[in-house]
Amino acid sequence: MTNNLEKLPKDSFERITIDSTHAEKITKPSLSFWQDAWLRIRKNKAAIISMFILAFIVIMAFVGPYMVKFDPQEVNVTHANLPPKIPGLEKWGIADGQGKLGTKTLDIYEVKKIDEYYWFGTDSLGRDLFSRLWMGTRISLYIALVAAIIDVFIGVLYGGISAYYGGRTDDIMQRIVEVLIGIPTLVIVILMLLVMEPGIWAIIIAISITGWIGMSRIVRGQVLKFKNQEFVLAAKTLGASDSRIIGKHLLPNIMAIIIINMMFTIPTAIFFEAFLSFIGLGLQAPAASLGTLINDGYKFLEYQPHMLFFPAVLISLLMIAFNLIGDGLRDALDPKMKD
Amino acid sequence: MAKKLLEIKNLKQYFNEGKKNEVRAVDDITFDIYKGETLGLVGESGCGKSTTGRTIIRLYNATGGEVIYDGIDVHNKKSKKDLKMFNRKMQMIFQDPYASLNPRMKVLDIIAEGLDIHGLVKGTKERTARVNELLETVGLNREHANRYPHEFSGGQRQRLGIARALAVEPEFIIADEPISALDVSIQAQVVNLLKELQEEKGLTYLFIAHDLSMVKYISDRIGVMYFGKLVEIGPAETLYTAPLHPYTQSLLSAIPLPDPNYERNRVRKGYDPKSHKYLDDEEVTMREVTPGHFVLCSQREFDSFKKA
Repeated sequence: MTNNLEKLPKDSFERITIDSTHAEKITKPSLSFWQDAWLRIRKNKAAIISMFILAFIVIMAFVGPYMVKFDPQEVNVTHANLPPKIPGLEKWGIADGQGKLGTKTLDIYEVKKIDEYYWFGTDSLGRDLFSRLWMGTRISLYIALVAAIIDVFIGVLYGGISAYYGGRTDDIMQRIVEVLIGIPTLVIVILMLLVMEPGIWAIIIAISITGWIGMSRIVRGQVLKFKNQEFVLAAKTLGASDSRIIGKHLLPNIMAIIIINMMFTIPTAIFFEAFLSFIGLGLQAPAASLGTLINDGYKFLEYQPHMLFFPAVLISLLMIAFNLIGDGLRDALDPKMKD
Repeated sequence: MAKKLLEIKNLKQYFNEGKKNEVRAVDDITFDIYKGETLGLVGESGCGKSTTGRTIIRLYNATGGEVIYDGIDVHNKKSKKDLKMFNRKMQMIFQDPYASLNPRMKVLDIIAEGLDIHGLVKGTKERTARVNELLETVGLNREHANRYPHEFSGGQRQRLGIARALAVEPEFIIADEPISALDVSIQAQVVNLLKELQEEKGLTYLFIAHDLSMVKYISDRIGVMYFGKLVEIGPAETLYTAPLHPYTQSLLSAIPLPDPNYERNRVRKGYDPKSHKYLDDEEVTMREVTPGHFVLCSQREFDSFKKA
């Protein structure tokens, strides 16, 4: 072996020198936390599909009411209780305007001599359900979003102050929360809605009045976890002010958890609004939300099932989409928490 | 002897003071740190070494006692300007390189934090230049500035922590077990870096550790702590060759050496605080046995040390 090596031609070897400055080189591209999270969530098919569904619903909530020529709040008694009729689909036997009249199934549009197409039919007052549905979605989303933002705002502030200053401040603030959480939510909400003028803001305030507690507890836990971490101590030894520590060190680290929690707060708020509207404490006619539409629809479930069908499907889609996105975000933003 | 940089007088740090579960983490300790030296602080886990370091740098408010830096008591200062000056002079290197860097910040911003807080640079260009310079000082590449901490190894992260501390050009650095979370091969790297920086910039270190051989390697003087008290302090050489306090003797007897003959005959001494048999009226204080070598003892013990 050694003999063979000596016979090897010298010119087939090339001397290389290792540059020691390259020893510490990192070749992997630098990814920020959010880029990394995006790479992970991209692999989650359910979350991506949910994002598309959610985007579609949000867009429709804005443009939907203007796609048909009917006003969502216009009453037209002669056009009451029409089943769905969609041009194109009618030939295939779905949404063809067929409905029960007495015991017979007939094309109601022909009987009543109506030329217009009500895509999702009309309600008992002859209002177009398609435009009402998207109008209602818009209001439901608006209520949920505003309620969630208020929850985040109060929750982060309250939980953050409670944990950051700690000690007696924390004790007092947490006792207050415990008292608040001891009162059944529904009782507070019903009392609030009795006192306040019914409307969107009454519902938003009713939802937010106890809704922030969950967020504040999560934020408190996170701040407690991070405030004694060594990187925060290092910032303190460098002379960083409280606002700098909170803004640059604590908030960026708990942002992921806040966002995840918000993604679960929104569908809860939508659902709670629907529930309030359903038991008659919500929006007053002629304003519509998904809850009031379901409430209207279920009264005619036997004869006009379409009135319940469309809002019920939409609210289910919204709930599933938000929850799946929330799940996906949790897995993507906090890989250690998975399972 | 060199100039005193830091005088710690009767420093006390009690947690849950006055309650049932009161903990005397640091209980009345007094020592000096001289300019340009490395003082090693050793002791078992939970004996108050880290708390001492953190109290000196004001991460905790001391229960009692004084920390005098260059003639000024740092624990009584109130004005923000004075505090900032003090923050620049005294810096800290932390134990856990995985927890001491904010995972959401780029290396550039982590190292430049001190520069930003104290307004030491003007403009982005100077800031980047200064950070690059610091990165090179601790043996990292300038390309590393735009990376996030999770992309680095433990040793690299610890060097980033050192760079962050150096950014404000401190005179005195508290190294709180800077190597105990690192691989043995990396420990030497970091300790040598600290030594080089000390020679270059004339830094003074308080080196907190529980690895005795490493402390011996880096320290000029060594202090031994036991249950919140400083039991013995003296020049490294004296302390290793002639330990006086029984706890120090016990600690030194626990050092393993890569020598089979020595290991076979090594006698491990135990330490029981009751073995002192202090009487109620005896005053137990720090007493100077040989120049610069202080031991926590009673007058009776002191006399016997003197004789020996």
